[in-house]
Amino acid sequence: MSSLKLILQIAILTVALAGAAAADERPAAPKASVQAKLSYCKDCHGPSAQGYFGFFPIPRLAGQQTAYLENQLRAFLEHRRTNNVMFNVAHALSPEMMAALALSLHQLNPLPIGGAPRQLAAEGKRIFEDGVPDANVAACAACHGPEATGTGEIPRLAGQLYPYVVKELTNWGIERGQNAAKPDTSAVMSPVAHSLSKSQIEAVAAFVSYLK
Amino acid sequence: MKSIGLRLVFAILAACAAGGARANEADPSSKDVQAKLQYCNVCHGVSAQGFLGYYPIPRLAGQQVAYIENQLKGFVEQKRTSNIMFNVGHVLSPAMITGLATRLHDLNAKPLGGAPKEPVAQGKKIYEEGIPGANVLACASCHGQDAKGNGQFPRLAGQLYAYVSLQLTNWSKERGETLSNVMAPIARNLSDEQIKAVAAYLSYLE
Repeated sequence: MSSLKLILQIAILTVALAGAAAADERPAAPKASVQAKLSYCKDCHGPSAQGYFGFFPIPRLAGQQTAYLENQLRAFLEHRRTNNVMFNVAHALSPEMMAALALSLHQLNPLPIGGAPRQLAAEGKRIFEDGVPDANVAACAACHGPEATGTGEIPRLAGQLYPYVVKELTNWGIERGQNAAKPDTSAVMSPVAHSLSKSQIEAVAAFVSYLK
Repeated sequence: MKSIGLRLVFAILAACAAGGARANEADPSSKDVQAKLQYCNVCHGVSAQGFLGYYPIPRLAGQQVAYIENQLKGFVEQKRTSNIMFNVGHVLSPAMITGLATRLHDLNAKPLGGAPKEPVAQGKKIYEEGIPGANVLACASCHGQDAKGNGQFPRLAGQLYAYVSLQLTNWSKERGETLSNVMAPIARNLSDEQIKAVAAYLSYLE
């Protein structure tokens, strides 16, 4: 009788320990469901996540920084960045799924989708590398890197869609940093976007859109 | 006729001199300095506490006025190599530079943090005592006990770990202002590990 009790106690202990161990390491999103979700992303963002010209310009996600992707998905949820479509998309994603998607997208490397006015690229390169000191526009390269690959929460711009970059820079203050209770890194870009003229925005957008 | 000509020359000269003086004294309006400061903060952080962009972008808050002025001059004269800062410095009038340096000096943001904590004790020892066996001076002898700097000697307190490491590693490739020569042998004599220790220590100083 006593030995049966002991076995029972050991069994309970084992189950409890196993449970604790499982809770310790975050359950990774299962591979098959990540793949399914990734193909859902690609419905809009393009079959290689190179971006897509839908009704809206839908941004390239391929090669994007993982911290940036995760931060943006959270930004949609927290209404820091306003976008009804992406709010609903992000709403259904667990943190683990977000991390897995970000990593998968970061590893993609398709060619830029192209289509921007080429004659603007030279001026855009100058602005990207040197800024516009007279207009208090910082050199994009200082934060986004000389090859526009980004780092951490600072996004990759290389190969990003021309109309998307134009739209973002034009609408910065009404699309990003919209939750006053949760200020975020997007504030850094506000004065830059504000100080760029329309033609300068188009030049930079054309330049980055062709970068691989 | 001759004297009229002479008087005319004098008049023109006087007008030029007055114009020159006015141009030199033209203080940028407080609004212009504020706008330029916001531009600095885009990269150097909202409180100029430094920012980890693609490059580590140094803290300017609390920095010595003379050091900031000297570095901006160094960028423009290409004695210190940075393409981005050359372009930034290029358009600044001396009065604007002084206005910016003064305002940056008055800021006092908390250190950005993020450096490894383990080497801090070793860094403090190197900072205060140097490494006599390796001909490394005590940093404190020029930068001050609390690393606030003085005149052209920069403040190091709260400076970014990654930035200090990078500067000490690349000293002679990046710096060439007259005064920077002082640091060349020190930077050379420090090992990678010692550089990281000093950088970690400084990055947490308020």
